[in-house]
Amino acid sequence: MKADLSLLRRRDALRYFSLPVVSAVSGVGSLSATAAQAQVQALAKMPRIVSVSGATTEIVYALGAEKQLVGTDTTSLYPAAALQTPKVGYMRQLSAEGLLSLKPDAVIGTTEAGPHVVMDQIRNAGVKVELVEADHSWAEVQRKVAAVGRATARVAQAAALQAKLDAQWAEVLATVARRGGRKPRAIFVLSHSGSPQVAGEKTAAHAMLNYAGLDNALISTGSANFAGYRAMTPEAVVTAAPDVIVTTTQGVEAVGGVEKFWQRPGLELTPAYKRRALVALDALYLIGFGPRLPQAVAELHQAGMKAIA
Amino acid sequence: MKIVQHGDHRRLPAALVLGAGVLLLALSFVAGSARGAYAISPLQLWNVLLDMLGGSAQPTPEHLVFMNIRLPRLLLGVAAGAALGMSGALMQGLFRNPLADPGLIGVSSGAALAAGMTIVLGSLWFPDMPRTLGSWTLVAAAFAGSLLVTMLVYVLSQQDGVTRVGMMLLAGVAINALAGAGLGYLTFLATDEQLRNIQFWLLGSLGGARWSAVALVCSVVAVAVGAGLALAKPLNAIALGEAQAALLGVPVERIKRFAVLLTALAVGAVTATTGIIGFIGLVAPHCVRLVAGPDHRTVLPGSALLGAALVLAADSVARTMVKPAELPLGVLTAFVGVPFFLLLLRHFRSRL
Amino acid sequence: MNARNQTDFLPLAGMLEVAGAGVQVPGRSLLQAASVQFIAGQVTAVLGPNGAGKSTLMSLLTGQRQSSHGHVRLAGKALSAHAPDELARLRACVAQETQVAFEFTVREVVELGRYPHRRKPSLNEADVVQQAMQATAVEHLQHRVLNTLSGGEKARVHLARALAQVWAPSQDQAARWLLLDEPTAALDLQHQHRMLQLVRAWASAQGVGVVAVLHDLNLALRYSDRCVVLRDGQVVGSGATADVLTPACIQEVWGVVAHPVLAQGGAVGTRQYLFEAPVQAA
Repeated sequence: MKADLSLLRRRDALRYFSLPVVSAVSGVGSLSATAAQAQVQALAKMPRIVSVSGATTEIVYALGAEKQLVGTDTTSLYPAAALQTPKVGYMRQLSAEGLLSLKPDAVIGTTEAGPHVVMDQIRNAGVKVELVEADHSWAEVQRKVAAVGRATARVAQAAALQAKLDAQWAEVLATVARRGGRKPRAIFVLSHSGSPQVAGEKTAAHAMLNYAGLDNALISTGSANFAGYRAMTPEAVVTAAPDVIVTTTQGVEAVGGVEKFWQRPGLELTPAYKRRALVALDALYLIGFGPRLPQAVAELHQAGMKAIA
Repeated sequence: MKIVQHGDHRRLPAALVLGAGVLLLALSFVAGSARGAYAISPLQLWNVLLDMLGGSAQPTPEHLVFMNIRLPRLLLGVAAGAALGMSGALMQGLFRNPLADPGLIGVSSGAALAAGMTIVLGSLWFPDMPRTLGSWTLVAAAFAGSLLVTMLVYVLSQQDGVTRVGMMLLAGVAINALAGAGLGYLTFLATDEQLRNIQFWLLGSLGGARWSAVALVCSVVAVAVGAGLALAKPLNAIALGEAQAALLGVPVERIKRFAVLLTALAVGAVTATTGIIGFIGLVAPHCVRLVAGPDHRTVLPGSALLGAALVLAADSVARTMVKPAELPLGVLTAFVGVPFFLLLLRHFRSRL
Repeated sequence: MNARNQTDFLPLAGMLEVAGAGVQVPGRSLLQAASVQFIAGQVTAVLGPNGAGKSTLMSLLTGQRQSSHGHVRLAGKALSAHAPDELARLRACVAQETQVAFEFTVREVVELGRYPHRRKPSLNEADVVQQAMQATAVEHLQHRVLNTLSGGEKARVHLARALAQVWAPSQDQAARWLLLDEPTAALDLQHQHRMLQLVRAWASAQGVGVVAVLHDLNLALRYSDRCVVLRDGQVVGSGATADVLTPACIQEVWGVVAHPVLAQGGAVGTRQYLFEAPVQAA
């Protein structure tokens, strides 16, 4: 049931109209006292945002729009302030009424947000829902930044942020490309719940490894290429012979520490074991494809180089 | 109020019990309408009702939230509780055992297995179709799964053209175990996201309630519950044993078939849309029996009413306790149902 | 046999007949080619040692077992030819043991006996139930939960239910039947006699046909008109009880020595027996 909310639309129009006025008065990005004052006043009319993806939440904070953030999902763990915002639940199990009770003007996230029925209900209530397709590319990050910019009505700031991030990205890619020689072999292990799994193609982890100049050893040595995640078997790991193991800090915690992690069958026979080459980074940081992606890639690249140094 | 006290038990008259059931349901419905993550004051609710009757040009946000989100959810809750409650009573009457519940004949495990298959394997075959709670892919698959598994259990319990209830119990246990193993295997194959989807589905939720689905489920349940009431007297006779019931002229085979069919349809339709909602089918008939005695003419409708009231009450808590997030319903049904059951147990049992 | 000839001229409406019916299970036959006629208005006792086939014969009469050959007829029609509802209005059965699920009260259980009459209830259903309970002396227990009663009390409740089931004569004057499988097994002395007095009164006053499996030969002699004696799945005697139950017959079938005693008093002197185990051959 499509809602004809001329009332809300009018409110939106007023808001978007006021933005250029405010910008003109305050100066986009400037932090002068009067500007700050005007910004505080204008904030009352800025769109209220609910972010249901860790990456988009980070971008909201990066744009300085955190006062517009009225709710986040449970995967929004960075920065620490995000933990204090009202939580609307896990991004795949949202509550329509709960979300609407926060009176948002827009909801931003990835296409993984759901359930579908709930997203439809939210749309029908007149809330703008922008879901970004996740294809594990830099374009994904760019789409996210643009979407957040639109939703928070800070398009110009978003563009500036984008430019900054593009520069960082270019630098990282150049660093990786400059480094010649053998590419370190790596595998990505996911072990948040139950049995550990390893990443194949078409995963965020696989994309990260490639960006960081590492070879996904399971793909290059595997007899058949696989997409998605597969259970980790000792034989596969030994055949892959990775120089470095990449995982998440949550995964290491879940298994009880680095020592316990290495006790997984098969790992002790890998070249990575000899140098204890384990890279454990926060899950959101590493595979969230948020604004910290360039740093994550850089860190991963360095760790990989160290492993075969 | 006449509580008849005899030696070892107390009983309330049927009319009182059913009246109380209707009242309880009405109260739960009204309370559920007023409560929710989205704040709607009683005045606003009243306006919404007036709008519904009068029709207004400008629907307020409250109106939309109530009409599109809360109301279908309440109706789905009523249907779910009524289906589960009455099917529980039917199964207990059929198996002549107060520990039976609809899940015994495989309705829930069949739906769960089908849902698991859709969530995990469906990504291979239908990558583009949404496979989350309430999506038609999942609903259709789960419904088909529950009917197929129930049919399998039923067929396995046939011997010489007669449905052996004892065998149905064993077949149900066996098939449930098999479905559980299948689900376990799917869990093993599943990625993190798929695992989450499965887990949430298994815990049950009324969140997938949209009008098209709700209308369908409510119609199926209304028909099933209405038809089920006709089984009251035969089930009373069956309490004497199938042989004795047959000697009284009860068409026992037909009754058994009908009871299984109604349960499969009603609970299958509900489970397909909401996931697994446990405990209601087991406890609602018990509560009614405790208070009113085992006459199925009271227990069948009473269980439907009480089941609906319990589901609405549990859902009310699920929606508001951790707002703006939401707890899965299955978690709450036991939390709400058990104290109620214990309270009745204390009051109506002078001696256990 | 003489008894047979006497029944040849009775109307079919009052007859429950088993002709050449037998029941086989893999390995052995429970009942072999039995031919018995039961007559309405009379109490027929089914007698025999354990494993003789008494319950099997009863199960043929109740329709729970199908005969491998031969037939069972009620009022001239095969059992299967009767509509189940119609049969239920004419024939009430009390099993040896009935497990009742849930906590139905005595009254509710007796009311269940009226199930076959639900479409055409009599004007005073409640009265029927009340009187049935009075007849077997369980009225004072009517609000008790059945499963809390003693074995004997339960037995009387189930008899009350059966009485309620065939309480009033049917429209077409077809004979009604009470089939009782060891009705006195759990009863105390007084109630054993009362119950059999009751069914005998029903037989003679209302023309109900009563078939009862009994273990106590003296009760059979006192309260049954005819009897059928079984041994090892075969009918070894049928006819008027006093004629059939001779000491010789008893010795042969049950393997006990029977000393006849004539009961003093009563309207008719009834023969009773004192039993003792035979002296063991050295």
